Amino acid sequence: MNESATIFNEPPRPYPQLIAAYGFLPNLFRAQSAMPEAIEAEQYLIHTVAVREGTLSRSQKHAVLNAVATVRGSEYCRTLFGHSIANMPGRDVALIDFCLKLAKHGPWVSEGDVQTLKHSGFDERMILEAIVTTSVGLLLCTLADGLRPQLDAELKLQGPADLLDVPDPIDWPKTLGPHLGLLTHSTADSPAYAVLRTQFGYVPSLYRLQSAVPELLNAEVRLLEAVQFPEDGLNRVQKECVLLAISAANLNTYCSTLHSQVLDILGLPPEESDRIMEDHQQSGISATDRTLLDETRKLASLPGRSSQLFETDRLRTQGFTERQIIEAVVVSGLANFLNTLQAGVGATADFPPRKVFGPKDLYLFSDRFRPISDTTFPEDPDSALVARVREGNIDVFEELVRRHSRRIFGTLAGLVGNIEDARDATQEVFLKAFENIGRFQGRSKFSTWLTSIAINTGTDFLRRRKPSESIEETQDDEGFRPRQVQKWADDPERLLAASQMNELVRDAVLRLPEKYRVAVLLRDINQLSTEEAAAVLELSVPALKARVLRGRLMLRESLAPHFVRQEKTDA
Amino acid sequence: MLSCADFLAELGDYIDDAASSDLRAHLEEHLRECKTCQVIVDSTRKTIEIVTESGCFTLPSEGVDPIVNAVMSRIRERTT
Repeated sequence: MNESATIFNEPPRPYPQLIAAYGFLPNLFRAQSAMPEAIEAEQYLIHTVAVREGTLSRSQKHAVLNAVATVRGSEYCRTLFGHSIANMPGRDVALIDFCLKLAKHGPWVSEGDVQTLKHSGFDERMILEAIVTTSVGLLLCTLADGLRPQLDAELKLQGPADLLDVPDPIDWPKTLGPHLGLLTHSTADSPAYAVLRTQFGYVPSLYRLQSAVPELLNAEVRLLEAVQFPEDGLNRVQKECVLLAISAANLNTYCSTLHSQVLDILGLPPEESDRIMEDHQQSGISATDRTLLDETRKLASLPGRSSQLFETDRLRTQGFTERQIIEAVVVSGLANFLNTLQAGVGATADFPPRKVFGPKDLYLFSDRFRPISDTTFPEDPDSALVARVREGNIDVFEELVRRHSRRIFGTLAGLVGNIEDARDATQEVFLKAFENIGRFQGRSKFSTWLTSIAINTGTDFLRRRKPSESIEETQDDEGFRPRQVQKWADDPERLLAASQMNELVRDAVLRLPEKYRVAVLLRDINQLSTEEAAAVLELSVPALKARVLRGRLMLRESLAPHFVRQEKTDA
Repeated sequence: MLSCADFLAELGDYIDDAASSDLRAHLEEHLRECKTCQVIVDSTRKTIEIVTESGCFTLPSEGVDPIVNAVMSRIRERTT
């Protein structure tokens, strides 16, 4: 879309709190003038969260908003928020680091991140305010992405954006939330709780966790009342489908569970919700609604930034009115708001989730996946065969099994250490690949995708055998120092017969702790590139390199006694 | 000049030929002077070569057909 979706240029109401906050009514809100109730709720939220002094100062909150807009690449919001984060006091750097991680890599936020912030002197109330402020930042950035307002004449252009260093996340959180333990106040009779009970039948834990700060809770519930619950434009099922699809794209188990539950009550079978989560194109909803999800998913906050591709014309072609298009953008903003809020407070699901998201969903089942390097994957030699299988030619899959079975078996044998289990697991890998080939998007090589499935399958085999062992439960990657420093023979391979050598290497590899073993298997036995191996293991490239090096050095220690040069020592 | 600990931290990139030319020059400067790190580089390279070429987890070629047949028959069962 090249222009704003605005149809009414002048809002019918004055919105005094927005004018108080910005000095004028910004185009971001004018662009929503078809939804005055949403603007009312947004202004109340902005007033409550960002304008009023809380336990965080207004200046701290504006710095958070500016950082969120910068990391999201929203020039409009960065200009609107207008507060550089340069020259911040040292303590606030920790605050900004936390909020940046939440804004960019929400699902990776853990209790440890909250603890780090506490150690920097922030109490739980301050942390909750930081989380809600970050969520408001993402809401407004999503609105700007979808509505594309003109920069207001009243705003001063900002200088270059601050350079923000947001490291790639490494490990998926191992523990569930909640991350905050605010004392929950008794709000059984609060109007906000009454609204939530009416709508959901109970008070979801996301809101219960915030009950110690009722003004925040009230502002959030007002936003739900204005955006999620009415049926003036999009109907409730359509809205819940958008909320579900974006929550799934953001890998948010909690919100996906909540919206699936609502859809179930509204009459959409749970299997349909499952399909919307995994690939809405395969769901049984109407073609019009599939297009709605196609477009709104582009506004999801994870993983890449594809909001530039958001096309309102496609929605118009499908018969959506201007009001409905604006509503679709606002509901998308609400989805990112709720997902960020949940990731920050770590609310745990009120019902058993139908699907628990993990980082593999980002890589395997998304049409966009975590960028692992700037290099694009080379042409995939399997792409033609994969395309024919996807067209329904089952027999062609046989060639893919034949091409890759030895390599996949090798990976699994190195992982599970037992030939029979490796054979069974190899078959399982190919069956899973066949069943899911419709979801393979060709953004990585087929062989890399297959290897990801092999690692997950092999790890499952190990867990079944030794449920207590975890791939992550070994020592950290630092601090290992080689002990064997004697020179090796020039041709160590000649010192042993091939069968002895195989046995020696096999034993040494299988003795490695799992996380190093897998890294070495992928790099040195499977010959994957560093970037491919990192993608398969859902690690950052530096983390993968550290594990490979550690694994190689440990192997070297094991093999050294057999290969050191036998020299006579001086008497 | 780099310490041995600095050198070891970059060993992976050095061996994989992924270090920048500047870094490589510093690493090689250290290596020229440090016999211990020379041994570690040499033996780590040999370790990788041994592991890569050992074929210790390789499926013998006669093992391929049974896997292919088992997979395809299960797929055909499911799709018919």
